[in-house]
Amino acid sequence: MADAGSDSAQDVGSEASTPSSSKRVTSLLSVLEISVTEPERRTGVSAINMKETYTVYLVETRITDMKSELLPEIFTDETFSLWRRYSEFELLRNYLCVTYPAVVIPPLPEKKIHMMWQKLSGGEDKFDPDFIERRRAGLESFLLRVAAHTQLSQDKIFHAFLHLVEAWKETVLATGYQNKKIYLILRTAQMDSRLKTLNAQFRLKNPDRRFQDLKNYSSELEANIANLLKIRERLAERLYGIHKIHANYGRVFSEWSGIEKEMGDGLQSAGHFMDVYAASIDSMLEEEDTYADALKEYLYFADALRSICRKQELLQYEVEKLEDKLVYLKAQKQQMEQGVDVKSGFSLKGMTTKLFGADTPEIREKKIQQLEEQTQQTEEQLQAAKWELSTYIDRSLQDVERFKRQKVRDLREIFINYSIMQIKLCKKGVSLWNNTKECFTKM
Amino acid sequence: MADGTDSGFSEGQPSGPGGSSGPISPDLDPLNITTSTVDLEESLDMGAETPLDCGPTPRSFYTLFTDGEGDPKAAGDDITVFTQSSLAGLQLDDALASDVHDLFVTVDDPEKHITNMESYITYRVTTKTTRSDYDSHEYVVRRRYQDFLWLRERLEATNPTHLIPPLPEKHSFRRLDRFSPEFLKTRQAALQKFLSRIVDHPTLSFNENLTIFLTAKAWELASHRKQAQGIMGKMGSSMRSMAAGYMMKNRSPEYATMQEYVNTFGAKMGTIDRINQRLLKEMTDYEQDLREFGPVFTLWSNSETELAPAMLGMAAGVEKCEKALEQQISDQEHVFAPPVKEYILYAEAMKAVLKRRDSIQMEYELTVEELNRKRNDREQLKMSDQSYSLGAFMGKDPEEVRQQKRTKLDAQIEELLKQVEVSNDNVECANADLKADLERWHRNKRRDVKEVFSELCDRNIQYYQECLSAWEETLQEINQKSELETASTLATPTSSCPDTPNLATPTSSVTPPLPATPTKEGTEGGASEGQEVTQ
Repeated sequence: MADAGSDSAQDVGSEASTPSSSKRVTSLLSVLEISVTEPERRTGVSAINMKETYTVYLVETRITDMKSELLPEIFTDETFSLWRRYSEFELLRNYLCVTYPAVVIPPLPEKKIHMMWQKLSGGEDKFDPDFIERRRAGLESFLLRVAAHTQLSQDKIFHAFLHLVEAWKETVLATGYQNKKIYLILRTAQMDSRLKTLNAQFRLKNPDRRFQDLKNYSSELEANIANLLKIRERLAERLYGIHKIHANYGRVFSEWSGIEKEMGDGLQSAGHFMDVYAASIDSMLEEEDTYADALKEYLYFADALRSICRKQELLQYEVEKLEDKLVYLKAQKQQMEQGVDVKSGFSLKGMTTKLFGADTPEIREKKIQQLEEQTQQTEEQLQAAKWELSTYIDRSLQDVERFKRQKVRDLREIFINYSIMQIKLCKKGVSLWNNTKECFTKM
Repeated sequence: MADGTDSGFSEGQPSGPGGSSGPISPDLDPLNITTSTVDLEESLDMGAETPLDCGPTPRSFYTLFTDGEGDPKAAGDDITVFTQSSLAGLQLDDALASDVHDLFVTVDDPEKHITNMESYITYRVTTKTTRSDYDSHEYVVRRRYQDFLWLRERLEATNPTHLIPPLPEKHSFRRLDRFSPEFLKTRQAALQKFLSRIVDHPTLSFNENLTIFLTAKAWELASHRKQAQGIMGKMGSSMRSMAAGYMMKNRSPEYATMQEYVNTFGAKMGTIDRINQRLLKEMTDYEQDLREFGPVFTLWSNSETELAPAMLGMAAGVEKCEKALEQQISDQEHVFAPPVKEYILYAEAMKAVLKRRDSIQMEYELTVEELNRKRNDREQLKMSDQSYSLGAFMGKDPEEVRQQKRTKLDAQIEELLKQVEVSNDNVECANADLKADLERWHRNKRRDVKEVFSELCDRNIQYYQECLSAWEETLQEINQKSELETASTLATPTSSCPDTPNLATPTSSVTPPLPATPTKEGTEGGASEGQEVTQ
């Protein structure tokens, strides 16, 4: 899995990887390797002063090109490692999401088990070795993808994650990332994506077609992968059952061989091959699990894509809100200046004038001035919002393109590996049944 | 009836050629064995008093002759040798080179018949023969399962010392549809096997009931079947002894071994059958899931562009595997399961014949016991005082009484001696028949196991080969598109050049405001846009 990630990520880093053009190596992954290993159990004291047990992982970085300019200055040693726990990975990711909102941030493996079929297979326990192993692989993939991204890999907090043993968490908090406006927007986006409902107040007047399409695409991607994974799990169970039943054949052949004279040897060997056949499924399913996990990563990527769309919607909403406000203010000012609303017969101003007397010219002037100030302010705000929106759109669409290319590479590789595995399985099957046949023909 | 001294003839003889063409004319039979043969045929008539009489089988002609008593060829002249004819696919039990087969039977062409009362299937039974006790060389009749049942019952009744091959079960349990083509095919094959085994048996193939079965018209067969009802009662005598149920004193340990073998064998076959069922179920479930798997890829390919061909390739691979699996499942049910079931029934048939042999031996021992009792009585009589006997009270002379009793006992003993001889013969015959049949059965079983399981392996190999080529094709398709794609990325420059900001999207017609504006996210030092563009 790690290899798959790094190889294709390598391509991302050196995007123009054709032999003719000059190789532009722009990601960290070209000069170092990261691995996440050796999960260990630790006990400590939690924030609320209670004893807690958690798993830590060893994050090991090895520099392959010490002379490269891309290397951050703090990476002075050739190899260094430290322990990180899941919550620290989460913190890193949240920080990245807020700091680079236009980037499709790689997903983390799941914190809790929420799919039923995993619960049944004993995955609910967060200390189950299988769960921990799959998490470990997912964490490693996360770090590799970050390192492969041109922009993300240059982030100092990311470097610190790999390198800073003490007080990394405080360093992150010191950036004040939680205070950024986008953070609050992001929280809302996160909540919305979990609820999966379009909150009424965020209905846009002119939704951006591209992001609508992207949102649809991400839903389809999620549904398709989820479906695929569900069926694959069932298939794996069935195949497992079929192979294990052959072990029963093995046993009965062996027992039967005991009462036969000339047939005894043949039956005994055939029984042995049935046992081999039954045992062969274990390693194959283990391998298949890794491909399933790779697919699952893209399941979570779908979520990341959706949050990109959400952010765009929120930014656009801001713009539209300000535009509306501007229109309102201008209308107000016009009204003020003319005294009476020309369009409609009725006006509040007209009424209050009749009741309380008209405004004095001085007061009216003041009010108009106020409105002008407000208008000016709003216009500036609108400009800023528009600029934010357009910048966001540009950057995010660009990263989405990068993501899509990466996705094509990754998925293709998964399919290739899966096919290769099937071919291997078939070849083993042919050879095994040939051997078994020999036992009988020689009988 | 055969002389007891001839009992050595069939022991240890492996089952040989099918036999001669019928009763030999006296000029070829200097030793006058023919008459015994004729007796044999008579004893096989329905209604014979002692159906247990086995007599010398036609096969044993050979051995009598080749024992140096005559020229083997003399007997051979009358025997016509047949090569395996056009009835290909007919498995003959004995693969010995000197096989002589003059009776061939095929079962095919199931047809449905519907009457007011019921609907049923008949099969066409074709017989080709050169035997002289058959009027014609070829017969074609239609028979239904019930007719086969009748034949088997008759064979068992007239040859209790022989192992009669089993029939397939009456009902199909998995599918209630007894007219489904697969079921009919399976049953037809089993019925074929049944007849072939009988036809190849040196004794059974000459059984009159078989002849009737193969040649009689429908109404003739019906009338024979009605007669059969009455005959069943004659089996009672041996049944009686079986009901006694205690161990024989002189049973040779080899029969205990046989019993054990048969029991274990039957149990193992049962286990295999159950494993077959389980496997069938799992494979069926697997196929159902597989059927859903392919379409997921197809559906997904609708939302992808560059990956669509690869995904369709995956879908195609899965579908091909599913087809191969369908075949596997059908094989599992119709090719591998039936032979196992058949051997379970064979084990039952073996148990039955072992039991019958036991009962024959039982009868012999009982007779011997009775004889010994009477002899004892006679001894006792010599020394007894008859003055207090019933006869003396009646006024008879005690010596006369003694004499009368003595005479009576003598007669009884005389009778019992004969009976002992007869039942001894029966035991010998039964043992011989059983042994021969079992040996032949073991050989056939070995050949069947070899055949059936090799077939199983072949089908599995084929399955995996089909899946293999399916996935190889898929792999090719996935890889192929990859080249196409790199070609397209070469052609069109991607928007990834980091120096030029991507303004391809027309929305941004706004110039960036002055640095005094609110936070620009994503920059590490508020640098220009160039640096921020992601790859």
